[in-house]
Amino acid sequence: MSRVSVPCHVKGTVALQVGDVRTSQGRPGVLVIDVTFPSVAPFELQEIMFKNYYTAFLTIRVRQHTSTHTPAKWVTCLRDYCLMPDPHSEEGAQEYVSLFKHQSPSMTFPKWLSHPVPCEQPVPLLEGLPDPSRVSSEVQQMWALTEMIRASHTSTRIGRFDVDGCYDLNLLSYT
Amino acid sequence: MLQEESDLSLIIAQIVQKLKGSNLYAQLERQAWDSLQRPEIKLESLKEDIKEFFKISGWEKKLQNAVYSELSVFPLPSHPAAPPEHLKEPLVYMRKAQGSWEKRILKSLNSMCTELSIPLARKRPVGEQKELLNKWNEMGTDEPDLSLFRPVYAPKDFLEVLINLRNPNYESGDSLSFRTHLGLIQVPLKVKDIPELKEFFVELSLTTGQLGIDDSTQVPPELFENEHVRIGQKVLAEQDSAAAQQYIRQGSPTALRAELWALILNISSQPEDILYYEQLKTNVIQHDLLVDSLIYKDVKLTASNDDYYFVFEDYLYQVLLCFSRDTSVLSHFAYNSASPPKSYIRGKLGLEEYAVFYPPNGVIPFHGFSMYVAPLCFLYHEPSKLYQIFREMYVRFFFRLHSISSHPSGIVSLCLLFETLLQTYLPQLFYHLREIGAQPLRISFKWMVRAFSGYLATDQLLLLWDRILGYNSLEILAVLAAAVFAFRAVNLMEVTSLAAAEAVLADLSTLKVMPLLQIFLFATVT
Repeated sequence: MSRVSVPCHVKGTVALQVGDVRTSQGRPGVLVIDVTFPSVAPFELQEIMFKNYYTAFLTIRVRQHTSTHTPAKWVTCLRDYCLMPDPHSEEGAQEYVSLFKHQSPSMTFPKWLSHPVPCEQPVPLLEGLPDPSRVSSEVQQMWALTEMIRASHTSTRIGRFDVDGCYDLNLLSYT
Repeated sequence: MLQEESDLSLIIAQIVQKLKGSNLYAQLERQAWDSLQRPEIKLESLKEDIKEFFKISGWEKKLQNAVYSELSVFPLPSHPAAPPEHLKEPLVYMRKAQGSWEKRILKSLNSMCTELSIPLARKRPVGEQKELLNKWNEMGTDEPDLSLFRPVYAPKDFLEVLINLRNPNYESGDSLSFRTHLGLIQVPLKVKDIPELKEFFVELSLTTGQLGIDDSTQVPPELFENEHVRIGQKVLAEQDSAAAQQYIRQGSPTALRAELWALILNISSQPEDILYYEQLKTNVIQHDLLVDSLIYKDVKLTASNDDYYFVFEDYLYQVLLCFSRDTSVLSHFAYNSASPPKSYIRGKLGLEEYAVFYPPNGVIPFHGFSMYVAPLCFLYHEPSKLYQIFREMYVRFFFRLHSISSHPSGIVSLCLLFETLLQTYLPQLFYHLREIGAQPLRISFKWMVRAFSGYLATDQLLLLWDRILGYNSLEILAVLAAAVFAFRAVNLMEVTSLAAAEAVLADLSTLKVMPLLQIFLFATVT
């Protein structure tokens, strides 16, 4: 299953406010980010990935063209998805998030269904264990990820802290 | 594949990856090969027979303990796109604060080097090496001139840094408003409240037997103590880490404690471990580090002056000097928000192939550091075992007490937990202390940073550290600190200055920790 990232253009945030007057007090709690896809060919969206910065709840709406006869319409595919369980504290505030297509009720893009998804808490781990032989076959697929984890560890020579027997140091360096 | 299952597969893959490099893996492989000679192992059912053999011979249990140890220590794998620094600490402003703090420490150490004209590290001349080797078991008799050395920092310096932590996205302003915290810590970390703590520490409740309460002389041992000891012996016979961790939540019998802690920390003294310790000792003999003088000074100032711990002075040097040379400690920086200081071999500044970490284990000791080791000397007398236990305790728990992070067991969360508990459940006391200029955290901070070592009587301290191991969390330190204030609330309400408040709380050596914790969590009317 090869996946590629889809080029997209993320516009700046727009605050939702009532009326035209921009007030400096009372910042609104709802911001809208528009994401457009410059490529015209249709694609099957698998995953949306982003890094959160103090957003508590996320709603995703999609405008799709079903056919040339009907006008394009907006459908909600995710409503109030919870990113921060306690918005007044730091939990989840700067986490990396992935949203997969199976978290919305439909299976393929552009045919998103229009009923909204109920509020989902971050998914906890399963209580019971899955079938071991199935897991071990899936470990093969995960190998690429473990290679990435291993690559990110600093490589240290076991036991040796010197360079060719020399450990004469003057000062510490500030990186 | 559902998200939960892929998460689990990833965790399993990560643990397999880690264990593959371990000694246990080599041993299991050897055992599997050797088992082929056994009559019950048949070729047609090879996999099942070997698995059965591992189960019966206890090797499966060893593997279980190793897996459990990995799960307890290493954080769950995060999102694939998250960079390594995210695993160390997810919040950017905390990472930055830790970076600035580290820079200050490095500058302080560098200026000490320059002022005293002492190198950070040098190879000892052969004569000096011989001398040190002869004195190895009695380094405490040495009286080097340490007057010019000063500790790199003390807990109160660190507290000032924590007080100034600010989340740039959190609008609180400098003036007091309903949004500013009343205590010293101003960052909005999530901390548990008492209902959540009651659930978390459920084994400490009034209806559950505890060592530290139900083993006192007035209570007949048939009611709880005898049975608890019997269960402890069974847990040790089974050699099950997870069971030991659950068991020790109710406290450990003195006679079983050393073995139980070793089981929970998954420490078994193999010949390789003893050899490794000897190698570290050789490193100490060969190279002299500036950090050694800091360690000497710290031991002389703290443990040597303590009635309970001065007898262990020599052990402390043997552990801490080796600890500084142990490069295996570097691996814990993957999940520690701190980073090891870097240096270059003399004359090779900027050349990456001559870049090294200093000290070799990346940990610069501060004032009071040796108190993390001292209580362990009551339990372990063999230096390499004592060393292993301390090292594991450090990379699991103690490092969190002196680095800036958002982790629930990190010192910032502990401070906020302490302040929040006090404000919520003793609001009058908190208000009064603030009014007289005695912010409670200024008094309790040093207790928590040292995990109460040197403040409590040793038997009480060990009962407390039983629960740190049992719950795999340092939150109990904050709860105990609040419980101590609650206990002395009446006296504290009468004081009118910070000095007087400190005097009320100066001597904790008569306190019994388990009743205090139990009353605060389960018997305080809220």
